[in-house]
Amino acid sequence: MNLTLHIWRQENTTAEGRFSTYRVEEISPDMSFLEMLDVLNERLINKGEVPVEFEHDCREGICGTCSLMVNGVPHGPEKGTTTCQLHMRKFKDGDEITIEPWRAKAFPVLKDLVVDRSAFDRIIQKGGYISANTGNAPDGNAIPIPKPDADWAFEAAACIGCGACVAACKNASASLFVAAKVTHLGLLPQGQPERYLRVTAMVEQMDQEGFGSCTNTYDCEGACPKQISVRNIARMNRDYLKAKIMGN
Amino acid sequence: MIGIFRSTILTKIAMALSGLIWIGFSIAHLSGHFLLFAGQEAYNAYGQGLKDLGPLLWLGRIIFIISFLLHSFSGILLLSRNKEARPVQYKAKKPIVSTPQSRMMALTGILLFTFMVYHLAHFTWGVVHAEYSHLTYTLSDGRAVHDVYTMVVAGYQNVFVCLAYVLFMLGFGMHLSHAIASVVQTLGFNHPMYNSLVKKVANGLSTIIILGYISIPASVMLGVLKLTGGH
Repeated sequence: MNLTLHIWRQENTTAEGRFSTYRVEEISPDMSFLEMLDVLNERLINKGEVPVEFEHDCREGICGTCSLMVNGVPHGPEKGTTTCQLHMRKFKDGDEITIEPWRAKAFPVLKDLVVDRSAFDRIIQKGGYISANTGNAPDGNAIPIPKPDADWAFEAAACIGCGACVAACKNASASLFVAAKVTHLGLLPQGQPERYLRVTAMVEQMDQEGFGSCTNTYDCEGACPKQISVRNIARMNRDYLKAKIMGN
Repeated sequence: MIGIFRSTILTKIAMALSGLIWIGFSIAHLSGHFLLFAGQEAYNAYGQGLKDLGPLLWLGRIIFIISFLLHSFSGILLLSRNKEARPVQYKAKKPIVSTPQSRMMALTGILLFTFMVYHLAHFTWGVVHAEYSHLTYTLSDGRAVHDVYTMVVAGYQNVFVCLAYVLFMLGFGMHLSHAIASVVQTLGFNHPMYNSLVKKVANGLSTIIILGYISIPASVMLGVLKLTGGH
């Protein structure tokens, strides 16, 4: 496959960025999207040019590190998939592909396609954990949890914190991410003591980071590589409102 | 109270609740004006009946004005915050599952505001198309009341007024169909068992409301509602 790539290049956070166009040739349809970028970078290095910076780690779709806006869709055209698990067979020979970083005030560009997602870490630090000392791991059946709650908590826990929800949202809102974290812990017995403190602290940190608000367009759910439901956002709103009315 | 507007979720909830009051208004307003089909006498009596409510009418008006201010203030606040949240736009950006109406709420909202001003100027303040605004009608009980029937029917005999009305109502329909489904989500109700029902109710109810409103100028155009010459 031969492709034309329009890639966002930006020296650092303060520098002005621009799109550069590259041709890549003889790309195998079996390659992953990131392997295609590896090929481009090899060629750039061989020519003495600066390679394109992009983030990646596990390349198995489970770590949430890769983060590319491919042709206007976070993680590219394949539903429920991270960029690293997107394969070139999804494209056609001669295609033009636009690759951009996540765009949000709360996710400043560090270089090229790499953005700083520590805003998510700061939200987690506000309450995305259980601080009770639970001792040794209890017996699996010792704490009864209704099956629907266990399933829902597990679905929410699948969030890998990649930020595709923010990237897809027209308001750059982090609601789906925060809601997934709040729901994951808020549904389980171990998460109950801090349930309302958690939702208040995490939501307030989300607002402080400068993310936009949720306007219920649901593009976050459509973009989420783990297909996390906006049902979590409704639950977060409910918990947050309850916390506010009852004073945490 | 001011603290509410520091939180995006509480601001959105304020917007949802004030919007809910306006959804109620749009249903009540339509029901009232459907009396046009019951004839000049019934409609004019209804108009006078509203006026006779006196302080109660003003209580209603104040509730609607406060909801309107709250709704637009929250909307503008969230909009400006949301614009700030993405200072650099994408070159390529595709909607994934979002509907055009969900993305165009601010635009259809502004359209609705323009319509409201025009609608009030036409029928409440009587400053545009004013030639039929100040006629009097004598009810069967002998009371002389404002002939609102003639004002409305004559107003919609102008084809441009009708076309503008229909266009505004389509914008209103877009706003409403997202609003009804959205208010449910914002207030924290979302369950896989009821989501498709909520969507159906949102689309169905907004279609019924819009068709109801459009039926009034359409009936004037088709000659179902006619000027009677009064008493």
